[in-house]
Amino acid sequence: MRKIYFTLLTILGAGMISSCTDYLESDQYFKDRMTLDKVFTSEQYTEEWLAHTFSFLRDYNQDVASKHYTPHCFADDMYYGDRDETLDIKERGQLSYSRFRLGGYNENEKQGGWGDSYKGIRNASIFIQNIDQNEIFSATKRADYKAQARFVRAYYYWLLLRKYGPIPIVPEEGIDYTKDYDEIATPRSSYEECAEYISNEMLLAAKDLPLHRDEQAVARPTRGAALAARAKVLLYAASPLANGNNDEFAQELVDDEGRRLLSSEYDEKKWAKAAAAARDVIELGVYDLYTANFRTTGDASYPPTIVPPYNNEFSDQNWPNGWANIDPFESYRAVFNGTLRASENPELIFTRGQNQGGESVQAMVAHQLPRIAAGWNTHGMTQKQCDAYYMNDGTDAPGKDKEIGRGDGSERISGYVTKEDVEAGRYKPLAEGVSLQYANREPRFYASVAYNGSVWHLLNEDEEKNRHKQVFYYRGSGDGYTNTMFWLRSGIGIMKFVHPRDTYLRGEMSRIVPKEEPAIRYADILLIYAEALNELDGTYEIPSWDGSQTYTISRNINEMRRGIRPVRIRGGVPDYPNEVYSNKDEFRKKLKRERQIELMGEGQRYYDLRRWKDAPVEESLPIYGCNPLMNADQRDLFHTPVPVWTFPTTFSKKMWFWPIQHSELKRNQRLTQNPGWTYYD
Amino acid sequence: MKNFKLTVFLLLVFLSNAFAQQTVEVTGIVTDENNEPLIGVNITVSDVPGLGTITDINGAYKIKVKEYSKLIFSYVGFEPVEVLVKEDQHVINVTMKESVTQLIDEVVVTATGAQKKLTVTGAVTSVNVNELKTAAPSSSIVNTLAGRVPGIMAMQTSGQPGKNFSEFWIRGISTFGANTSAYVLVDGFERDLNEINIEDIESFSVLKDASATAIYGSKGANGVILVTTKHGKPGKINIDAKIETSYNTRTFTPEFVDGITYANLINEARITRNNEPIYHPEELEILRLGLDPDLYPNVNWMEKLLKDGAMSYRANLNMSGGSATARYFVSGSYIEEQGMYHTDETLRNDYNTNANYKRYNYRLNTDINVTATTLLKLGVSGSLSKRNSPGLGDAWVWDALFGYTPVRTPILYSNGYVPAIGSGNQTNPWVTATQTGFNENWENNIQTNVTLEQDFRFILPGLRFVGNFGYDTNNSSDILRRKWPEQWRAERARSADGEIIFTKISDPQEMFQESGSGGNRREFLDLMFSYNLTVEDDHHIGADVKYTQDAFINTVNIGNDIKNGVAKRNQSLAGRATYNWKYRYFVDFNFGYTGSENFAKGHRFGFFPAYSFAWNVAEEKIIKNNVPWINMFKIRFSQGQVGNDNLGSERFPYLYTISRGGSGYEWAEYGNSKFYEGMYFSQVASPYVTWEVATKSDLGTDISLFHDSFQLTVDYFDEKREGIYMARNFLPLIVGLESTPRANVGAVRSRGFDGHFSYNYRIGEVNLTARGNMTYSKNEVLEKDEEHNVYPYQMEKGYRIGQTKGLIALGLFKDYDDIRNSPVQQFGTYQPGDIKYKDVNGDGVINDGDRVAIGSTRTPNLIYGVGLSAQYKGFDLNILFQGAGKSNFFIYGKTVYAFSEGEWGNVLKGLVDENRWISADISGDPSTENPNASYPRLSYGGNANNYRESTYWLRNGRYLRLKNVDLGYTLPKKFVNQLRLNNVRVFMVGNNLLTWAPFKLWDPEMADSRGESYPPTKSITLGLTVNL
Repeated sequence: MRKIYFTLLTILGAGMISSCTDYLESDQYFKDRMTLDKVFTSEQYTEEWLAHTFSFLRDYNQDVASKHYTPHCFADDMYYGDRDETLDIKERGQLSYSRFRLGGYNENEKQGGWGDSYKGIRNASIFIQNIDQNEIFSATKRADYKAQARFVRAYYYWLLLRKYGPIPIVPEEGIDYTKDYDEIATPRSSYEECAEYISNEMLLAAKDLPLHRDEQAVARPTRGAALAARAKVLLYAASPLANGNNDEFAQELVDDEGRRLLSSEYDEKKWAKAAAAARDVIELGVYDLYTANFRTTGDASYPPTIVPPYNNEFSDQNWPNGWANIDPFESYRAVFNGTLRASENPELIFTRGQNQGGESVQAMVAHQLPRIAAGWNTHGMTQKQCDAYYMNDGTDAPGKDKEIGRGDGSERISGYVTKEDVEAGRYKPLAEGVSLQYANREPRFYASVAYNGSVWHLLNEDEEKNRHKQVFYYRGSGDGYTNTMFWLRSGIGIMKFVHPRDTYLRGEMSRIVPKEEPAIRYADILLIYAEALNELDGTYEIPSWDGSQTYTISRNINEMRRGIRPVRIRGGVPDYPNEVYSNKDEFRKKLKRERQIELMGEGQRYYDLRRWKDAPVEESLPIYGCNPLMNADQRDLFHTPVPVWTFPTTFSKKMWFWPIQHSELKRNQRLTQNPGWTYYD
Repeated sequence: MKNFKLTVFLLLVFLSNAFAQQTVEVTGIVTDENNEPLIGVNITVSDVPGLGTITDINGAYKIKVKEYSKLIFSYVGFEPVEVLVKEDQHVINVTMKESVTQLIDEVVVTATGAQKKLTVTGAVTSVNVNELKTAAPSSSIVNTLAGRVPGIMAMQTSGQPGKNFSEFWIRGISTFGANTSAYVLVDGFERDLNEINIEDIESFSVLKDASATAIYGSKGANGVILVTTKHGKPGKINIDAKIETSYNTRTFTPEFVDGITYANLINEARITRNNEPIYHPEELEILRLGLDPDLYPNVNWMEKLLKDGAMSYRANLNMSGGSATARYFVSGSYIEEQGMYHTDETLRNDYNTNANYKRYNYRLNTDINVTATTLLKLGVSGSLSKRNSPGLGDAWVWDALFGYTPVRTPILYSNGYVPAIGSGNQTNPWVTATQTGFNENWENNIQTNVTLEQDFRFILPGLRFVGNFGYDTNNSSDILRRKWPEQWRAERARSADGEIIFTKISDPQEMFQESGSGGNRREFLDLMFSYNLTVEDDHHIGADVKYTQDAFINTVNIGNDIKNGVAKRNQSLAGRATYNWKYRYFVDFNFGYTGSENFAKGHRFGFFPAYSFAWNVAEEKIIKNNVPWINMFKIRFSQGQVGNDNLGSERFPYLYTISRGGSGYEWAEYGNSKFYEGMYFSQVASPYVTWEVATKSDLGTDISLFHDSFQLTVDYFDEKREGIYMARNFLPLIVGLESTPRANVGAVRSRGFDGHFSYNYRIGEVNLTARGNMTYSKNEVLEKDEEHNVYPYQMEKGYRIGQTKGLIALGLFKDYDDIRNSPVQQFGTYQPGDIKYKDVNGDGVINDGDRVAIGSTRTPNLIYGVGLSAQYKGFDLNILFQGAGKSNFFIYGKTVYAFSEGEWGNVLKGLVDENRWISADISGDPSTENPNASYPRLSYGGNANNYRESTYWLRNGRYLRLKNVDLGYTLPKKFVNQLRLNNVRVFMVGNNLLTWAPFKLWDPEMADSRGESYPPTKSITLGLTVNL
């Protein structure tokens, strides 16, 4: 009987245990949840993953945008007058232009870009590691999509590098977040390593990216975009800030083990690599500067072509050798103001397309438009930028930079356009009452500068009478000085990006023509090519991006001309004389000025000044402008430049790179702060 | 198997008949030592289940048995007597001796069943249930634990009927994880302690160390409370009845200044900050003389809203009894607690807006001896409760009461308009409490459990099996019936023709209804084999193996996440092996191997071992022979691990969630669209999440001296909690996550001691007992997920869980020179008379970087109780003082920070009106510019500098109170026996009668920062218990 009992108990016990082994199992409830495998075996989900990966290019990571997330589009060329708590208490905590220019921001402001970039990087890595299991896509499409993710991952690193300087490069498979904080801690890589990494990734991406995208896919990167981004990265790495920098600042910028992050050894070859990378883009043969046809008839908003003064080299030749058959003003204007769709724009290499968030180029225009068009009337231009534009014959404007001690002894032109002048067709396109300082300037001036008395066409205004408005910034004129934030401190506005139709009637953004964001433009690549070549003394054999050929890179004047000359011809200004090309320093000056003019308002100047190490001088020069306290009766005084008292300037070492936020330093113990900034609250 | 058992049973019956001996009728009388007859003595026959009788009113009995059977006489409180029925012996008179319970025989309920206290090696406190019962006429037993049970820390933060349950922790809080509560088992099933009827409790044990709780592997980390309910005993029906009536008042009622004082103070607050006053002198005069009650009222809302006291009632009836084969225990109880709000008499018959609570409990425990070795227990219990509250809810009543000042509006305008300042919480308190409808919260619980105990002595002596199955369902429903009248606010000025200018605040709302519900279900299965063996009387060996599984699921409102529809489940295999030699040396080994559904495969199970040993020094011959007054002197030590899988509301952290609808991207150019929404990890997986583990050590001693008249138990404990589950909130952004993973990262160490003593002394006929107990616990965060900070004092690491932190106040600024010569305070503008803080880090500015640990924690770290009881003839008296210490909390809110919300917020009496800083310009007396004043310069509309967490607003939560006075009288037996009753006691209990505390604004035990809630009660109770 005992045996029977034992047997029974054993059976009972065994049965019980076996029936209970899966008591804790829950997978049956979860097997129908979304899995990573399902994502990457579905076309729709794969697309959605990639879309999310790119989505972090918005806001803090935009290249060309209004100031809220990226004040870096504003430097010594452009300013903004709003977001100023000293003028409006409701703006408390906002970063005003003057606080921005004084380095008055702290470690924890405008920091979204850091986290957003790394989020994009992680999502891209997951995409890269999983896309190969997608068998719905063709092999080509799979490679393309993988390359897109690779491109954007490298591009996030580029945005970080440009803004923060050297940054931590995370492992290919992403950081294992289950590890201890100490193990996760990652130091910053050097500038050189970062640039190398991005450059190599861009090369990998370029291999599988197509040359063209149709109108349904303009925001997807192309081979050109990858190569162009690479050229920019290599140019920055070759520039004085990162190449042979032994300034006190550079000595302080180290990783957690004291290793210098900016190369102390100058390496000329870096310039050669940058030049070769720019040449890779040029050699693709895909891009060209946009030109609008010569126009003999027209109306107020699309006037007949204003022919530049006769130049025996360019006036008689057709584009690309001269400007005989083009309208330089319209050629330049149309690139930015929304006239061209992205797919029609031959010089647009990379754009975020419609993904511009609330600080879009449209929003910038809303801030440029005068009060009369219900615009915010608050983005303006410095006298320095205004003076940078050439006269229409390629000479400097009289009185240029006189107030900041850089004048050539000449005086500013006095006098105003009269009714007779207008009727006689003199000083086109100036309207009556405009200072002659603005007369006979190069076409890009008129496409970029909203000088005092310029005409805003405002064709989207409902009423005829509200169109073609001449706007003066005299005190008392309505768009002049007020006790709000919304007036132009320099009396000079910005016309770039403005379409003749644009107006902000009743605050309706739809009345501003949408504008594709010009993140990377062919003109930029051409100028990079010229700039990099100029710096060379030696000759370098550099293989092309795909290894199909080898470039011989040296300071070849013809090649330099190949870079800068088209930009000038399209702008309707003659090329430089040979003395300029033969003098490295002189050419560098010209080139910098060319970038300042051509790329104004495109988020380049802030970073260019830093990589050239020109920022300490250029950023601390006082900002001049017209005298906004003068009314129409005191117009001579208005046009006599005075310092803009609301915009004091300075430069200190902490302004080389954007600070790293405190919380990140606390969490990543191996991370080092940029010089001049603190680690803790 | 069933058939087999039945066969065995029938066989036994058959055999007993086959060998039937001659039957004799035995009679006799049972008396006590004083020759008094004992009524209701149980008489059973050994080995013959079902046969038995009880003595009648004269102590006489009559029973038919077979010769040579053994009669067993048993009676509560007396030593059992066994008598063999010999031939011819037909009259057996028995004298029973009152039992002298020796400590050595005292029984403690532990994880594996009842155990002699002598053999316990872990830290287990067995609570004297009778003491709890007489303690307090409370609806919840939890409220009686603090100060009575060593090792339990408790605080009661509300006195509202139905919400007046204490929070409690065993040995304090030892984790900052999701779960700090003890694991409560009622008859082996996880149930709510608040819902048990106190009278139903048979035993109450607190298991504190690892060796006592290891067997509960999964849930024992925070300690375990074991409650067993009463079961019937064979014999005559036993009926207990108890009724109690209490009158409850409040321990503390916050007091506010009257209208005139308020108006003067608000003027001062305005003037002293260079603003124009609110009341002009003539208005103050109108107010003082009460000339215009519409515009210048002076209402004592507290008086209007709150009654002086409220009644509560409790009644309980239970019956038990049965035979040797089947026994029962049936009980029912009713509790009603009334609220202290005034109600609108006209509504009285319609519905009740007061804060009331009613609860019915019932329980039925049935024990059936299926065979001689098989016992089946069936338990069914349940409760039904209903809580009432005013329509806008209790929180708003108190919010309004604290906010609505005496001078804002009258109760009703003279034209009959109902006044209000604003809507929501700014409704006038009388309207909030009486005119906004009512809410009902219902809860009902049904609990069912079945236990089968099988003695396998016929296979192997000492082998037993116990199987438990339980099934509980709990449901709750809330019905909110709301309405409000048309409400108006008058401008504080009349129109040119003298009319009041009214603004309508709200349109009338007729009654509407909202409802909600909740529910859950719990299943429990537990199977245990036990084996005991004694070898040569010296070696005592025991072993238990236990299998447990349980499931808990919310059945209502589980949302759309699949995770919430999966039951929380645990599965465990646990065991224990014990050995002792001559009750002198003891060794225990315990383990729990426990799984939780919450973790990924491979991380699901945790192994939690524990060991303990003890040495009973008193059993050593040398002691026994030489120091006979030492009855027990035991030294215990235990060490082991216990786990915790409770992650709060989070489930399945090992799963990731991929969601659509994240930010997407538009690929097409303007004028076209090719948009994809974003897909991403909305929650990443945390695959390695597993058990939180507590490693506990306990060193204790149990001492009993002088015939057990002095007893002492002291335990020192040291616990390290590791792997505390928490969100990794401080991953650097370079990781690139869009969600927060979880991990077992925290660690806490807590140390402390608990102990109690009692001393019996007899002076003449007076029996005196003094008792005391104390629990002290201090914890320290060893590791917590937090970011690095340059100032270590700003981290939580190294401090207590919930450490109060703030600035150090150095008093008030004397003058502007004092301000100029002090570091800059970066919180806002400040003037003389504002709070001056210490620059702790010496960086020349005062900001949040200067916050340091000040005080301790809100929950007390020390709880103690001292009691005295005396018995003289029929009288008994119990007194208990209870205290708490090492507790601090900040005070803030609209009444503490006077006028911080403008004209919303009363002014607390005793805080603002007494010793405050007053500018000499206002008082005309320079001495009122006192830098040491207890209240800073008044301000209006908030003051960022003064209203910060600092020592200035830190209060000590220490208190000592006369918790309980219980005076009873047991009517003489002779008298009650004539009424055919057995025992009658009348009693009077006072509860929370006196409180001594440095903090006087409201009850210190609430440790509340704002005081805006229903205060705990002080009560006087009259009661009667009857036993038939």
